[in-house]
Amino acid sequence: MILTEAALEREGLFVSLYKNVFPAAAKYIARRGGNFDDAKDIFQEALAVYYEMACAAKDGIRTTPEAYMMGVVKNLWYKKLRDDNRLLPFDDQTDDVAEDERQNLLLGKITTLMESAGGKCMDLLKAFYYDQLPIKKLAETFGYGSERSATVQKYKCLEKLRTEVKQKHLSYADFIE
Amino acid sequence: MNEVQEIEAHLLKSSAPGDALLFEAKLILDDELKDKTHYQQKAYELISFYGRRQLKQEIAAVHQKLFTQQEHRGFRARILRLFKTK
Repeated sequence: MILTEAALEREGLFVSLYKNVFPAAAKYIARRGGNFDDAKDIFQEALAVYYEMACAAKDGIRTTPEAYMMGVVKNLWYKKLRDDNRLLPFDDQTDDVAEDERQNLLLGKITTLMESAGGKCMDLLKAFYYDQLPIKKLAETFGYGSERSATVQKYKCLEKLRTEVKQKHLSYADFIE
Repeated sequence: MNEVQEIEAHLLKSSAPGDALLFEAKLILDDELKDKTHYQQKAYELISFYGRRQLKQEIAAVHQKLFTQQEHRGFRARILRLFKTK
């Protein structure tokens, strides 16, 4: 694992958010008849949404993590209720199973793709574009001598991934519905 | 590398207005550039997908720790009490 420091920082953040917000989220869901797994799934999704939002927000967030995440938890709970109440005809359920298999197959493909693109490259790209680590921190984390060489490497990796995607005719649409 | 950078500026909408116009004109004339732009967009989407999958794994690992390790037993008990059938 290359991103040890950043990953450790994230772990600390997730533990603290879990301890601070999960009790309220679990209480909310339990009171409305949800079980432990409902609470777990919904809370983990809310935590992911919060993380993505916090990474993307350039000028900070105008609300507390607790308020933000509880807002997401409530929305997700209502969405779940709505989806659960929708009765699916049998054919649709069969489609769901086929869809799961398709997803697993595609996840296999993505793994192969990541390996051929190089693990370090994918981690570097993820750290920059997904976690939105500043280039200075990126250079430090991945051991580049300067911001300039980290930038050059980042573009090289991106070009490599672009070539892989083209060769394998893979796209995001292949991984989601 | 300049071309990858130029495509990125176009896709992430960070180019200067003049450069943006120039790039769009090039896109019309150059099929290869159009093709590269398309796949670069797919590459960004794939990075997001990869990132989210990793993120969900990290979160699941934290959950696992909190609900198995001895040091968090107080927290665990507090949560599980909420789901006890009455």
